Amino acid sequence: MARTRKRKTSPRKRSPQRRSRGGRRPAKRARGRLRTVVFILAIVGFAAGFTTSVVVVHLDRIVRTRFDGQRFRVPSRVYSAPAIIYPGLDVRLADLRGAFVRLGYRAAEANRSLPEGQYSWEKNRIRVHLRAFDHPTRSEPPREVVLEIRGDSIDEIREPSSRRTVGAVLLEPEQLGAYYGPDRTQRELVRLDELPPLLVEAILAVEDQRFETHPGIDLRRIGGALLANLRAGSIRQGGSTLTQQLVKNFFLTPERTFERKAQEAVMALIVELRYDKREILEAYLNEIYFGQRGSTEIHGVGEAALRFFGKRVNSLDLAESALLAALIQSPNAISPYRNPKGARARRDLVLGLMATQGRIDEAQRAAATSQTLNLASITADPSDARYFLDLLRVQLSESYDPEVLSSQGLKIYSTLESRTQRLAAIALREGIAELERDHPELVEADPSRALQGCIIAMRPQTGEILALVGGRDYQVSQFDRCTQARRQAGSAFKPFVYLAALEPRIGGPSITLASRLDDSPLELATPSGPWAPKNFDLEFHGEVSVREALERSLNVATARLAQEVGVGRVVDIAHRLGIESHLPLVPSLALGTAEVSPLEMARAYSSIAGGGVRPQVHSIEDLVDPKGNTLERRELHHERVLDEGTAHLATSLLQGVAHRGTAAGVRATGIRGPIAAKTGTSDDERDLWFVGYTPELVAVVWIGFDEPRSVGLASSRVALPIWRRFVGELTGGEIHGRFPRPQSVRVVDIDPLTGARAVWGCPERKRELFLEGTEPTDVCPRGAVAGADEEGFQRTQRLFFDWLRRQL
Amino acid sequence: MSLATSARSCGAWPVVIALAIGLASACAGTLGAPGGTPLRISQITDVGDSRRQASVRLVIEGLDAELAGAALRALGRYERAIQIDPGNPFVYLALARYYVSIADAERALENLDRVQSLLPVDSRLSPRVEPHVLGLRGGALQELGRTTEADRLLARARQLAPSVWGDARLDVRELR
Repeated sequence: MARTRKRKTSPRKRSPQRRSRGGRRPAKRARGRLRTVVFILAIVGFAAGFTTSVVVVHLDRIVRTRFDGQRFRVPSRVYSAPAIIYPGLDVRLADLRGAFVRLGYRAAEANRSLPEGQYSWEKNRIRVHLRAFDHPTRSEPPREVVLEIRGDSIDEIREPSSRRTVGAVLLEPEQLGAYYGPDRTQRELVRLDELPPLLVEAILAVEDQRFETHPGIDLRRIGGALLANLRAGSIRQGGSTLTQQLVKNFFLTPERTFERKAQEAVMALIVELRYDKREILEAYLNEIYFGQRGSTEIHGVGEAALRFFGKRVNSLDLAESALLAALIQSPNAISPYRNPKGARARRDLVLGLMATQGRIDEAQRAAATSQTLNLASITADPSDARYFLDLLRVQLSESYDPEVLSSQGLKIYSTLESRTQRLAAIALREGIAELERDHPELVEADPSRALQGCIIAMRPQTGEILALVGGRDYQVSQFDRCTQARRQAGSAFKPFVYLAALEPRIGGPSITLASRLDDSPLELATPSGPWAPKNFDLEFHGEVSVREALERSLNVATARLAQEVGVGRVVDIAHRLGIESHLPLVPSLALGTAEVSPLEMARAYSSIAGGGVRPQVHSIEDLVDPKGNTLERRELHHERVLDEGTAHLATSLLQGVAHRGTAAGVRATGIRGPIAAKTGTSDDERDLWFVGYTPELVAVVWIGFDEPRSVGLASSRVALPIWRRFVGELTGGEIHGRFPRPQSVRVVDIDPLTGARAVWGCPERKRELFLEGTEPTDVCPRGAVAGADEEGFQRTQRLFFDWLRRQL
Repeated sequence: MSLATSARSCGAWPVVIALAIGLASACAGTLGAPGGTPLRISQITDVGDSRRQASVRLVIEGLDAELAGAALRALGRYERAIQIDPGNPFVYLALARYYVSIADAERALENLDRVQSLLPVDSRLSPRVEPHVLGLRGGALQELGRTTEADRLLARARQLAPSVWGDARLDVRELR
């Protein structure tokens, strides 16, 4: 301590003496000091330089990592199946106008030329300029077509350019949703060379007019902004170049501090040194923020063009380009949807700047300024395909990492039909709401405990899921009751019992549709005690036909039939048709006590509807990467699991159920055409099902509470009306097609009371279907000779032809 | 009493004439049915309702794509044809032919099953489709090594439609 003090004090003591000795010493000292200062400065300079270098190197690394790697996260998008327009299509029923609106097509005036993505709707004619659809194997060119309308239907499709008639044209698929990352950013990547030059000019005019010449920062602009802000007394104007804006969005936080501004400037310089102007501009145009749409952020001019104008960026005109440029400064405040006046004023300002800077001429400016905003409509989408998107995500997760789905911009083409989906969602939502209005006791104050339901629609020939609504409100509950829930099938399971009994087998007794079943009291011993099934009406009906038993959904006759056939066979056939859930080998299985999912039921009924051919459930057509390569194509698969004759007999039975039986209410609103259906109500009325099919569609409706609670109503009053509303709206009340009768099924007249073959003289007769070789041999009336009816017919025919010959 | 006498006596002439006309036209329809001529899809563009017709036109576009060597585009067309009219048996016939041509026997058989499920027994076109179904099934079974069955089916197809099945294969042009 003492030594230190001495050293510190000594120069002070000595300095006066040195000064007194002459003038050379102070000069020497001054030089020494200078050296020290220089030294210190050198050290400081070196340290500062070193630190700066380290910082610059660090920033450079950050810049390179982002620029050289994957610059943008692009969510993968899921698309619907395309809508097909063909002669004969009912444009009202197909909601063609709605499809145009959802796809962002813009209505144009009649008698004007139509740019791509526009249509004009005239009295008996629709003109539309279809957009191109890019797809590796299913691409469609852009083309203008004229749809001649007669009544509500398309009479003819013509291509005015070639004057050819066209068989069918496709609308591009609708986007159903996307798999976002945590930032929920939606972006359509574009290349600079595909952008219209006027869009680039508009953005440069308003955002950075000296972009081509500055080195990343624009001192003149900064000076101008400073002056403007000083004059205004607040920050009114920014001095950032495009490069700085890009740097800010890519790497930095939005706060306005000196440190961040400095960092931004250094990084802008680095970016300009490392990359050429075109690359920077392209990155900027893909990054720039264009506001919020719902819960997602719109980024980049490609996405903005789609969202605001419903068209690809390469077809933007001057006024549209100027509007996009105008929005960059404050996209939410001057959103053209919320603030059209402000957006238009700013657009006109951009056009003025473009003219002033010589980027467009006065005539162009005047023409663009006179244009209205002409935006694509925003439609509230009631279709809610989010349950379906969740199902796809689960299926895709077997092959694709979630990170890939949310960042690689894949295009996933699904089987969902947007119109079918929308109608299913509306039918379910409104059907349940109506039910709650009629039965207030079903209303739950807590939405998470509310009455729930689901609808799934499938194409039976292909297994394609056409609609999937897993609950009444995805916001409240994301649990998909169509695919994740397992609920008691109730009577909707009974057709499997009848199929097991109808299917021909060697050595075993087989029944026919004319066979008689016993619906008298039954008690069976089970491990949990005696089981005595009862009918819904608590009565027994004695001897009934097979048809009657299923049409009236008789429990006792069905349970007895399952015992005769063997529960194991019932289980076997249900599994073969597509039920994958565990099915316990208990007598009550026949009445649907096993728990299955609506998806499984849709598949199993599809196998019946499809003539015994089980389809593989199909929800994705193909996946395409951003470069247009097909990553995966999922082809249709089906397998014969039942002979077509037996399947047809089951369809015939279920047609009877829909015509005369428990599902007869399905035609209450006048739906015409072939329908096969079965109601299903589980124990205590907790699970209410309606499974119905037409030759082209299988639809399953399930209604119930998530928690075990009785609805207290039969399915014919709950699930059936929802199915009827859905299918009625979908088909316009006219169901197409038919269930073709296979060769192995014969039509025979029988006596309905005995099931015997009816011949002349039989008091009553009805037509019934039989598998070849199972036709009844007994005849009615008793004592007549089998085959007498054919002999009689042949004799009459011979007489008639003899007579005809004589007359001629 | 002859039938004519009894008809005259009960004043049922109009009924008899209507019956005669109905029966005669039914017979003519049956006799005139183009059974035996193997089906070409382009011959049935005006058969069925508008959906079936549009669907058939897409099948033809698919066959044309196959001819042009664009198999995936062809499959896309067939998928759209099913989308419009899933009950159109001729789409599945075209698909079965395609799968036989690429030696995918399983899928060919799946599609032939579908054709048979969709073509009703009373369809006038069934006899014209039959040789194709038999021949394609034979081709698929041959691929699976079930030669005895395959030979039998191919022989039957050849017998029904020697002009098409003489070489034991169905070319795209022959189906188009």
